[in-house]
Amino acid sequence: MVSTTHFLILGAVLFTIGALGVVVRRNVITMFMCVELMLNAVNLTLLAFARHFNQVDGQILSFL
Amino acid sequence: MELLVFYLFAAIAVVAALVVVLQRRALYSALALIVCFFSLAVLFYQLGAYFIAAVQVIVYAGAIMVLFLFVVMLVDPEAEFFRLSRVRNLPVLAVPVAAVLGLLLVWGISGMEMTDSGPGELAELDKGEVAVLARDLFSDYLLPFEVTSILILVAVLGAMVLAKRTD
Repeated sequence: MVSTTHFLILGAVLFTIGALGVVVRRNVITMFMCVELMLNAVNLTLLAFARHFNQVDGQILSFL
Repeated sequence: MELLVFYLFAAIAVVAALVVVLQRRALYSALALIVCFFSLAVLFYQLGAYFIAAVQVIVYAGAIMVLFLFVVMLVDPEAEFFRLSRVRNLPVLAVPVAAVLGLLLVWGISGMEMTDSGPGELAELDKGEVAVLARDLFSDYLLPFEVTSILILVAVLGAMVLAKRTD
């Protein structure tokens, strides 16, 4: 089983890339895509913790 | 084997994310973002969130990205309208700051002590089962669910009002 830390670090890396994109890019559409990327990185973190604690709440939060 | 799948799709996701940021043309950014979403869906599946993985493919990679592609193809994304005036040479400043942010996050996460919380409400078999998800969504999380639907309604109305305005 892949550890939770693996997923958290991947989420952090993706979030950072997205944040960098929002700041660096000047095109509004591309900036929005980078926001979308950050959103998905956070979703990954939520799901990783949902599995870690065996709770369904994280999945619901990422679904909402 | 599982670790191999994780590393493969994590690498694809990170490379696709970098392409999203570095690619000059918005169309290629959108296509790279679709690749990123698909590999993230595989990782969601690996986390046992089967329903969320399906939603990721159908809603994100399907609906939202098609919408993005429509927008990019219908209007000129390089038009002056879409440009925000910004400071020049921003990457010189932004890249080190982002690198520090990323390193801090990774450092914090790897320093975290992961305690096992014992068995939660989910048995190993129930993970990602839609019935469990639905039961909690429509009981404990009913209010947030309804508030989200109202938020989306407000967003739709706001978009219509903004689009209809003629002056």
